[in-house]
Amino acid sequence: MSTPEVFVLGGYQTDFGRNWTKERKHFSALMRESVVGAMETVDIAAEDIQSAHVGNFAAELYCMQGHLGAFFTEVDPEFSGLPTSRHEAACASGSIALLAASAEIEAGRYDMQAVVGIEQMKTVDSALGGSYLGTAAWYEKEAEGIDFPFPKLFGRLGDEYDARYGLQDEHLAEISRLNYDNAKLNPNAQTRTWYMNRDHALSRGDDNAQVGGRIRLADCSQVTDGAVCVFLASRRYAQEYAAKRGISINDIPRIKGWGHNTARLRFEDKVAESKDAEYVLPHVRSTVTSAMERAGMSGVEDIDGIETHDCFTTSEYMAIDHFGITAPGESWKAVEEGWLEIDGKTPINPSGGLIGAGHPVGATGVRQLLDATKQVTGQAGDYQVAGAKNFQTLNIGGSGTTSCSFIVGV
Amino acid sequence: MTTSTLSSPGREALRLRSLDHVVVLGANGTMGYGSAALFTNAVPQVTFLARSKDKADEGLAAAVKQVRSESLALRADTGSYDDLASALQTADLVFEAVAEDMDLKKQIFDQVEDQMRPDAIVATVSSGLSINELAAGRSDAFQRNFCGLHFFNPPNVIVGTELIASAQTDPEVLDFLEAFCRIRLGRDMVRTSDTPAFAGNRVGFKVLNECAQMAEELGPMLVDAIVGPYTGRALTPLATIDLVGWDVHQAIVDNVHALTNDEAHDTLELPGYMRELIANGTLGNKTGGGFFSRDGDTQTVLDPARGTYVPQDSIELPDMSYVDEVANLYSQARYREGMAVLLTAKGPEAAIARKVMAGYISYSFERVGEVCANISDIDRIMGSGFNWAPPSVLVDFLGAPAAAEMMHEAGITVPDAIANADANTRFFDNPNTNRGRFFVAG
Repeated sequence: MSTPEVFVLGGYQTDFGRNWTKERKHFSALMRESVVGAMETVDIAAEDIQSAHVGNFAAELYCMQGHLGAFFTEVDPEFSGLPTSRHEAACASGSIALLAASAEIEAGRYDMQAVVGIEQMKTVDSALGGSYLGTAAWYEKEAEGIDFPFPKLFGRLGDEYDARYGLQDEHLAEISRLNYDNAKLNPNAQTRTWYMNRDHALSRGDDNAQVGGRIRLADCSQVTDGAVCVFLASRRYAQEYAAKRGISINDIPRIKGWGHNTARLRFEDKVAESKDAEYVLPHVRSTVTSAMERAGMSGVEDIDGIETHDCFTTSEYMAIDHFGITAPGESWKAVEEGWLEIDGKTPINPSGGLIGAGHPVGATGVRQLLDATKQVTGQAGDYQVAGAKNFQTLNIGGSGTTSCSFIVGV
Repeated sequence: MTTSTLSSPGREALRLRSLDHVVVLGANGTMGYGSAALFTNAVPQVTFLARSKDKADEGLAAAVKQVRSESLALRADTGSYDDLASALQTADLVFEAVAEDMDLKKQIFDQVEDQMRPDAIVATVSSGLSINELAAGRSDAFQRNFCGLHFFNPPNVIVGTELIASAQTDPEVLDFLEAFCRIRLGRDMVRTSDTPAFAGNRVGFKVLNECAQMAEELGPMLVDAIVGPYTGRALTPLATIDLVGWDVHQAIVDNVHALTNDEAHDTLELPGYMRELIANGTLGNKTGGGFFSRDGDTQTVLDPARGTYVPQDSIELPDMSYVDEVANLYSQARYREGMAVLLTAKGPEAAIARKVMAGYISYSFERVGEVCANISDIDRIMGSGFNWAPPSVLVDFLGAPAAAEMMHEAGITVPDAIANADANTRFFDNPNTNRGRFFVAG
């Protein structure tokens, strides 16, 4: 018997440009707006939701608040008594929540689930926030006493590429430029109104200062407040949903494939393991290809677009060859040839990604899945990839440690 | 749900033309260099022109500082109006931002018209002069390519932008500029009629002036407490007038009062105390104070009757505990519940708050067809141009019957659209704007 299907009915994301601390709002408000927004957008009644999963990295640190699954019950009186849970895997927390929810649908436990990815990060200054993010690495060994540890770790990813294959910073600047350009097409992107273009990304002065090795400000994703809620459903529920609205179930996207791997925590252990391998982060490669295999796809040529984890330009540079868009070490070719542009051969991050759209850590995996869903249903507005039928995500926690990928398609 | 996945109409509209060179006139003023800075974000060559090259250089320096990128200068050159003819040879867009004076603008357009390429777009940043009058009597080519493009101040912060056609403007020019400004410059574009102060300032300054009128009796502290953030705005009304400048406020309301005669005509009359103080040099924050000021470390507030300042600490405000209750509900994103508290709150302060909100909603809906084609456009310019809760958002959170009742209570016209709606009617139809973002909790 084949694995039961999981349908994505749709969802809602908050405007990633908002600062909820400045609005003087509690964490629960962020959760509430995303869930209420999703119920209104997707036209779901509260009583239809059977279970809820919350993905979040560090609310204990940023908001002095744990037990986040329970906050779901605060959204609507109907939710009192629902089974809920919270999932954590650093920046991949949102995808882990999606994996848990989809597994429960596959197991036949529930027909309809809410998945919320959420992070409120603007509660603290950037230095303290940078230190909190350091807990996604092996804190004591890689982050303690280091200012902004993560830009430095992903600077080392660039250095590793440079040592093995050669790497030009101009290609990283182009990746930054593309994400910012695409963000201007996305009405929910944090940076949509910011000053950013090729000249700024390429500038080497104080306006674009180095923050960790070869990583400059324009190479970094953002500190973001945001939440995203999506609804996953079994075929039984999706059929009812489609019938009630007079649409075909074939127009409702499905999760066609998924991948999930976890590598050793420390960056140096990961690259030591891959010393003689083709790929710098072989477990990331395995996540991407196992999702393709489960979806019955032979490779990236079957994918119409990608939402990838560009926490830094080096992570997107890595994703390009790990997806198989180029041979290992040749990611620069895709940048130079324009293959990643929104009208290119394999568009990457039409939403603007983590650099342009923003990176509320625990929300990112869910945001990627929602954007993939919008793309394959023609609802991505100005950042629509023409003719998209299948979209793949890649969400990474730590320095390439936990990797998750989904393929969403119609 | 649809499976049709074409590229977006906005991206298609960008193909109509290209902007490789923009010439900004008056590039030393706040709107001039601010707009020029915006253009450099997406245009490879932007020429800053002013009365002298030194002035234009000052504008360029201010633009670099505003966007915090030295790279801006790589895309910019500067000059005086003596350089206009050569700049116009390659200009795809001429953006006029000289002083807000009909004769001055007409003079500079005389020169532009003589020397521009016939296919170049010409736009004015004017916040209220008639676009049709600026175009009148000019060549067909000029008229087809001319429109208003009203950025709000400061343009790097406020994304709401009005696009105003004259009777002759080529629709393709409007489609292109709208797409370019939205997609390349991150603007929220709203098309308005060529009416006095267009849409945003017409509605916004009506409310601001009404608050300035009330301050004469209630005092500025109480007015800003009553029409505070809990009514759907980040910045309180009188603090807003201090920020934009009393002279700017005067210019806008005097113009609208002189050229319109609508149901709220009286609320558009500048209060006498403001006229006197403006004549004596009180212009708001830029002159060190307006409604609010400071004396050393002491925050002070204007006594409008006397034209003097008293310490803010000496002002005693009445009990308005309902405001805390509303703010507490907003802090949990319970906006409807917050509005319900405001609707039933006792006391004269809550009644005044309801009256101002009712007036804002009614005035907005009554302007549909006059200043904008539909309420959605007025919603967008109030949201992104003023950072105020759009009128439709307020109606949705209040519920249409309660909003109508609020207008009855205040003796204000109930617009037909609201009178005919029920509690389940939803007016706000922009899925890309979070309604909650307009409500600061306290």
